[in-house]
Amino acid sequence: MRLSNDQTTLRSEFADDPDMVGIVALFIHELPQRLAAMHVAIAAADREQLRMLAHQLKGAAGGYGFPKLGEAAALIDQAVRAGNDDNVIRSRVGMLAAIAARIRP
Amino acid sequence: MTEPSSTFPKVLAIDDSELIHRLLAVRLQHEEIQLFGATSADMGIKMVRKLRPDVVLLDLVLDANDQGMDGFDVLQVIKGDPDLQDVSVIVIAAFATVEDRVRALDMGASDFVNKPFEIVELKARVRSALRVQHLVRMLAQKAQVDGGTALWNRTYFDRRLTQELGEAIRHNRSLSLVMCDVDGFKKLNDEHGHPFGDKVLERLARILQTGRGSDIACRYGGEEFGIILPNTVGSEAIEVADRYRRAIEQEVWPSVPGMVITASFGVADVFILPGTPTIEDFISAADAALYRAKFNGRNRVEVAVPKHPPG
Repeated sequence: MRLSNDQTTLRSEFADDPDMVGIVALFIHELPQRLAAMHVAIAAADREQLRMLAHQLKGAAGGYGFPKLGEAAALIDQAVRAGNDDNVIRSRVGMLAAIAARIRP
Repeated sequence: MTEPSSTFPKVLAIDDSELIHRLLAVRLQHEEIQLFGATSADMGIKMVRKLRPDVVLLDLVLDANDQGMDGFDVLQVIKGDPDLQDVSVIVIAAFATVEDRVRALDMGASDFVNKPFEIVELKARVRSALRVQHLVRMLAQKAQVDGGTALWNRTYFDRRLTQELGEAIRHNRSLSLVMCDVDGFKKLNDEHGHPFGDKVLERLARILQTGRGSDIACRYGGEEFGIILPNTVGSEAIEVADRYRRAIEQEVWPSVPGMVITASFGVADVFILPGTPTIEDFISAADAALYRAKFNGRNRVEVAVPKHPPG
């Protein structure tokens, strides 16, 4: 991670890798949809769907050069597995969203 | 990225996340492999069967609404199928526990990579799996080829005949076996020396490989050969054997002018064997016919007849 201050923007660790530019851009482009899908899953009390969404992000975000995002997703995955209540889950999805909001192409 | 007709090894990634497939496609694009992807356990198993990949990259936690099948189930299917056993499986999992890793390795996985993976590590592990697999396959093949004639050896013959017999019985398909023995081989060796005898076996082996592509010629032992003929009834097998017989008879041996070498053949059709035959039953039926060919004057083909009427 190039910048670690919470207020600053985040760029992919692979932003300068010509092979990666295309799929990193697609990853960033799709990120709001993934977050929206998590909110939908919470509203629908569909824990399984939420866990799957978090799990996929946990496994892949690092590969796109966003390890912080992967760690935040892992916390959601963990909370769902532990059966934590909605407040904990919402707060963790909020943390994920905050990191996602700092990401710039 | 992938050439369909490429000879590069096939790597199949089974992972429910499209993000991972995209990432692998980019990250492995410069490797000398053909990359394929499956997004569920079910699809993964189907593709393993169809593609026969060299390496499978398997996500342990495949759980995207897929009838409860996870990575362990896929691993079990692959390692439980004798036809797929030499597929190398590299398990990939996000923060898997030690128990998960041990279980995966014990079930036959070749290697383990943590997700998120470092791409250099993943590439190195794929290369390493391919190297090991190449060596294992080479050894396995070497252990089944006869050194003197380069035909399949007895070990392979027994294994293959067991397999073909099982399939013929299961699917009610025809299957024939031809046993072939060089006539007067001992005398040949005594009169012309063992190097000549070796040359005779080598040349005969080459003739026995000029048959139909589906015929499986093996060295059974000494100067005896066994040829497995899948999907072939006795009458066809007799024709095949007689073609070999004539080819051997007509072979010219420049080092011994005027020399004619012959062989005798015994043919058995699986159909004549009563009940559920074993390969021993099958071989002894063909052998009995072979000895009749010897007894009836050599350089001829005889066919096994049922001991008891079938049924």
